[in-house]
Amino acid sequence: MKKHEFLKTAERYWSQSSYIVVLLLTMIGYAITITLGGNTFKWSHIVAILGSQNTCIVGTIALGMALVIITGQIDLSVGSALVLCSGITIMVFNLTGSILMMVLAALGSGALCGLINGVLVGYGKIPPFIVTLGTMLIFRSVTLSVVRDIDPSIAGSSSSQFAMITTLEKYDLVRMQFGVGKFSLGSFQIPYITIVFIVLAILFSVLMQRTAFGKSIYAVGSNEKSALLAGINVTRVKISVFVITGLMVGIASVLQACKIGNVTPASSGQSYEMYAISAVVLAGISMSGGKGKLQGVIFGTLSYTTINFIIVSIPELSVDIQDTFQGLVLILVILVQSVAPAVRSRIQRTRKHRQLPE
Amino acid sequence: MAFLEMNHISKAFGGEQALSDVSLHIEKGEVHALLGENGAGKSTLMRILTGVLQADSGAILFDGIRYTSPTIQEMEAAGIAFVHQELNVINDLSVADNIFLCREKKNWLGFIRIKEQIALTRKLFSDLGVNIDPEAMVSTLKPGEKQLLEICRALYMDAKLLILDEPTTSLSSDEIERLFEIINNLKKQGKSFIFISHKMPEIFTIADRYTIFRNGELISTGHICNTTVHKLTLEMVGKTEIIENEYVPRTLGEPFLELSHLSGKGIEDVSLTVRKGEIIAFTGLNGCGTNELFLTLYGVLPIRGGSFMLDGQKITSKNAEFTKKVSGLLPADRMDNSVLPDLNILENFGISRHVLRPGEFFLRKKADLLRFNEQKQAINIKASDTEEGILTLSGGNMQKVFLARLLNAGAGLLILDNPTQGVDVGAKEDIYKTITALAQRGKTILLNTMEIPEVIKVADRCAVFCEGRLAKVLNHDEVTEQTVMLYATHAVEQERENDHP
Repeated sequence: MKKHEFLKTAERYWSQSSYIVVLLLTMIGYAITITLGGNTFKWSHIVAILGSQNTCIVGTIALGMALVIITGQIDLSVGSALVLCSGITIMVFNLTGSILMMVLAALGSGALCGLINGVLVGYGKIPPFIVTLGTMLIFRSVTLSVVRDIDPSIAGSSSSQFAMITTLEKYDLVRMQFGVGKFSLGSFQIPYITIVFIVLAILFSVLMQRTAFGKSIYAVGSNEKSALLAGINVTRVKISVFVITGLMVGIASVLQACKIGNVTPASSGQSYEMYAISAVVLAGISMSGGKGKLQGVIFGTLSYTTINFIIVSIPELSVDIQDTFQGLVLILVILVQSVAPAVRSRIQRTRKHRQLPE
Repeated sequence: MAFLEMNHISKAFGGEQALSDVSLHIEKGEVHALLGENGAGKSTLMRILTGVLQADSGAILFDGIRYTSPTIQEMEAAGIAFVHQELNVINDLSVADNIFLCREKKNWLGFIRIKEQIALTRKLFSDLGVNIDPEAMVSTLKPGEKQLLEICRALYMDAKLLILDEPTTSLSSDEIERLFEIINNLKKQGKSFIFISHKMPEIFTIADRYTIFRNGELISTGHICNTTVHKLTLEMVGKTEIIENEYVPRTLGEPFLELSHLSGKGIEDVSLTVRKGEIIAFTGLNGCGTNELFLTLYGVLPIRGGSFMLDGQKITSKNAEFTKKVSGLLPADRMDNSVLPDLNILENFGISRHVLRPGEFFLRKKADLLRFNEQKQAINIKASDTEEGILTLSGGNMQKVFLARLLNAGAGLLILDNPTQGVDVGAKEDIYKTITALAQRGKTILLNTMEIPEVIKVADRCAVFCEGRLAKVLNHDEVTEQTVMLYATHAVEQERENDHP
């Protein structure tokens, strides 16, 4: 009986924390590919994963996406919103040279994008898939159509992109010291922007577990009707998760500006919505809503970036094939997660059958 | 040898014995009531009979054939059909399509021969005396018609034994009568029925014999004509005596809720005053508007006309959200409307308070646990581990958790919509007791129920609805099944019209 209890606890823990195993496996896979390539696997390899824009920018967006998905909705507009907000962020920096103004502009424009989605979903009663599909097209196209007409002294570039002006006084601080800089503790180094992402992830995790608002988000995704009749303002919850996602896009825009220094409306942020959704799924958050842990997003995002790095580190593979492998791994992980319980119960049944006296 | 014999069936889940050495014998052409509280083992036995579960020991003998561990397909082919409590019909298909689902009549190209299916359905319905249009969409049918459709589908598959799991929960009394007529006809044709229900009057109307289970054991079996409601209830509950909490009048306070000409979805021009500490029952036929009235009072459905006063505050269509602060709703259909399946018991309990009475920003689990244990004692909830999912509880305990959810949120007006629906006898008693105790403590209680004995047991007054309008408010001593039916079916007004043309 004791053993049975232990197994039950282990199983409960496993079903909630499978994302850790997924990350460990991908890390081992990466270590093997590095070693086979004739190099030794070092901390600097992990730092590269931690500091990659996939981890920090996509990860930050994925935190908002996770909330949207837990309420049982989806946001396809985040990639385009990132381009729009990054454009605004960079222009405000170029105009004012102020970090505070830049951050405020980023958060403001992000929240506005989210609010548009949220209001259309919440009050317009349009399915989120349709609303955000629409705004996905709109946000990018608006950015694309204005980038060429903007004075290069504001856009920072004359080649259809927004770029931070390198001669501004604060440029060195935001780009060189913060954007690509690393926090060092002895021989360990972690990029500053990764710290931003991880702190946010921890904040979100606490928000979801320890506040009434977090519980409401789970409740709405679990059973919307019950949530409404229990007194939750469902419309407000739905709108606020979109606004929060917008704010995350805003923060991601700041990270984009600081890390990359520019944004190209035609190509930047392409498919980021899909990457963010993949990270959420790898984090063990259910697409049907109501279930999942926010700290999982750290692991989900890192797993996703690691898969990228594995593919890049194999010279025989072209970059074009990258998405194929990412797609395959995604399907494989979900397949294991959904098939494993069925296989387990099948095994248990046959074992019990064998114990039966004939 | 009986038509169906289930002999010495045992089944355990993990370490828990769900059935221990029980037997069930059904004769051809009988209606056999299967009785027991929730968790007594009825559903486990039925799942074994239909091949969903395998018994650990014991054998099934049906129609002369012996089955040891049958599959679902085998039992279906043998002629056993399970008509589920929740309606398993497909809303977006036509009636005929539903009858022929998975066994469509096809031509050589594989296309469905719609006309033939409709004709066959029409014939089936006329044989059975069912009055449903075979071409109608199922979504347009009433719950009673859907229930009949499901029975017809089972009969079309040539079922010889039908298991009806609480078939009358969503039916009006008219529909129940029609269902019983059809069952009686089929009985004459030699069909057998296992009838699972918590409603005693029905069992005494329709069943020939009964079998009672308690805690996975067979308690008794016999002919309905040789027993009484009291005796059956005793055997189901297992206590030597049931405490009938007789109605005691209470002194009522100031008016707490005053409806004046309230109109909305499904309700017209309702005026009524309810005093603090009063228990008022709302009743009527299915679709009479009481359910909609409750949702309107809770601010979920819009107010289209008129207003109501709640705790001294005037509520119109503009400030309907306010009601949530003062009142709490226990909705009907707890699976659809109350359960938050992904949240654990404690979270399910605490959610309303957290949302409606925000305190500190961070929730404190200890405080929640303390409040839960308080309610747990007060209304006798059986839940050992509050970290477990809500779905691990039985129906009655789940309902108690949801009742506790409202009380925890501090509601002064409790709007209880069919609180004892699908709840076993023991839990029903607990819920009645809680309702009465709450009224004594000054809570105002609105109770929507179709069961008149329930009304007589607890309510100070009874508001009878008919077609969205308040037909009559009866005082406690005026309430009888007959008077309520008269007003609910419009019979009184019609009589009056006939008298004064």
